[in-house]
Amino acid sequence: MQLSLQGVIPVPLREKVEAYQSGMWKTTRSFNKGEYLFIQAPSGTGKTTLIHTLYGLRKDYEGNVMWGGQGLKNIDNELLAKLRTKNISVIFQDMRLFPELTAWENIEIKRRLTNTVSIEQATMWLERLGLKDKMNSLGSTMSYGEQQRVAIVRALLQPFEWLLMDEPFSHLDIANTQKAIDLIAEVVAQHNAGMILADLDENNYFPYTQKIIL
Amino acid sequence: MLKALLLRSKGKSRLWAALVALCVGTTLLLLSVMIWWNFRELLFGKSQNDTLGSTFLVIGKRVTEQNMGNPTATVFNQQDIDSLKQVPQVEEVGVLISNHFRVYAALSGKLGFATDLFLESVPDKFIDKKPASWGWQPGSTDLPIIISSQFLDLYNYGFAPSQGLPQLSEKSIQNIALDLKVGGDANEHYTAHIVGFSDRISSVLVPETFIKYGNEKYGKGTVEAAPSRLIIKAKDPSDTKFGAYIERHDYTTNSQNLRWSKIRAIVEVVTSATGVLALLLMGIGTLVFILFIELTIARAQNSLTLLQQIGYGPHYLSKFMVQRFMPLVLGTVIFSMAITIIAQVVAAEAVKSQGLVLPLIPGWPVWAALVISTSILAVLVTRSISGAIRKD
Repeated sequence: MQLSLQGVIPVPLREKVEAYQSGMWKTTRSFNKGEYLFIQAPSGTGKTTLIHTLYGLRKDYEGNVMWGGQGLKNIDNELLAKLRTKNISVIFQDMRLFPELTAWENIEIKRRLTNTVSIEQATMWLERLGLKDKMNSLGSTMSYGEQQRVAIVRALLQPFEWLLMDEPFSHLDIANTQKAIDLIAEVVAQHNAGMILADLDENNYFPYTQKIIL
Repeated sequence: MLKALLLRSKGKSRLWAALVALCVGTTLLLLSVMIWWNFRELLFGKSQNDTLGSTFLVIGKRVTEQNMGNPTATVFNQQDIDSLKQVPQVEEVGVLISNHFRVYAALSGKLGFATDLFLESVPDKFIDKKPASWGWQPGSTDLPIIISSQFLDLYNYGFAPSQGLPQLSEKSIQNIALDLKVGGDANEHYTAHIVGFSDRISSVLVPETFIKYGNEKYGKGTVEAAPSRLIIKAKDPSDTKFGAYIERHDYTTNSQNLRWSKIRAIVEVVTSATGVLALLLMGIGTLVFILFIELTIARAQNSLTLLQQIGYGPHYLSKFMVQRFMPLVLGTVIFSMAITIIAQVVAAEAVKSQGLVLPLIPGWPVWAALVISTSILAVLVTRSISGAIRKD
């Protein structure tokens, strides 16, 4: 599935965006499946806005975002849900777990929706990220680091062609970051998927095919 | 898990309040339809509920000082009958033909008496309680008779106590055989049995074939054979135009019937008003229930938003909510129907003691109201859920 941007300008950032040459905003460009994109963006330049726009959460922009020829602006909610369970997955910067559910329930609620990853596999991924003892902890009582690791595993529980990541390791230490990178790389490779990682500073977490300044 | 996220248990009392409101509305609606239908059954149904005065009236021409000497002035001619048939409320007109030959009845035994008797006949379709053995063919010596139930009352509560005679039940009187002598010389003998009692016609009725046979054989001419009374099937005798017609022509009738018909009209208005009220209450009950659903969805708004963000479609979530709420709706409606069925059984038992018949199962309009109200409710609940989730 190809991602195409056609002169996308987020309305709230219009003035800022028009004042400089962005690698993503205002441009017309396409990215093919399997590409590893790194979007570097200093704070406040619209990194989260970009990820949310690509994921169909925001519609306050000019231009078009197309996934495999399907525009996001007027997409039907059912079709968007299908896109989110079969083609695109996301790791939110703010994790977005259900605070009233345990870590395991947060995993299960996504796993049961697509039913493409076994319970054993999901358990194993949580264990790889050091969450074995946190399975029954409520989302509201877990640390940001723990929440972020649960959010990473949750994003991998579905088939996808693109994985969108918004500062996915911001709350993790180096050791846990490496474990998460290994797991993500492995699953993305399994799906022959592409990825878009947006972060503040340059990094080499993955073998990026393109690095773009937002 | 979806249940934990979307249907939090905090609103249990609200849920019960909403269900009670819905239940009260539905029950009242079904009960008002039931009452309306039962009332119609009692008035217009096929069962034997004629004492409710209903739609059959027996009319005659008033005997006054001016016409009392003129027998032709108090009978109905064909013109009178045709004119009556034109009155909007009149559906059918039947003639009561009396005997124009001598009838002498005798009863032997403890109740022994002998008397001259009058007989009348009426077309079979106007008889309210026609027994299976009703009918007579020339040559038969057995003659069935239907008497007015008022006659039995007069005997049991008036004559018998005053004369020290035993009171008689309907069943026992049917076992008594009357010896009837008919004709100018009273040379024809018949054994008559009372086979039924009429609430509708105050007379001694025999089959029409018998009267025609007797009048033809022993009668004196055509003028006398004209009917002195008519029986009318009227759509609504309480209609003022009908009352005015009866008054204008100076006909006599059972005014109790007309009075009852007025009461009936009032009851019908009250039933209709109850129906409207029940509809209103059902509407309010539905509204309360739908507001509860929307409140539940509003409370779960954060979870709904996040669920859609991780890939749950609106259709999936709506289906989940509908599957949770619909059994509650159906349970409530079934409960209301159960109350209605019980009420019907109680009503049928209650009117039985008055000699009236109602079915034990509610009539088809109640079931139709159940199906229609449930369907409307189901559509409203489904639309409200889908609407609230899509809005989210």
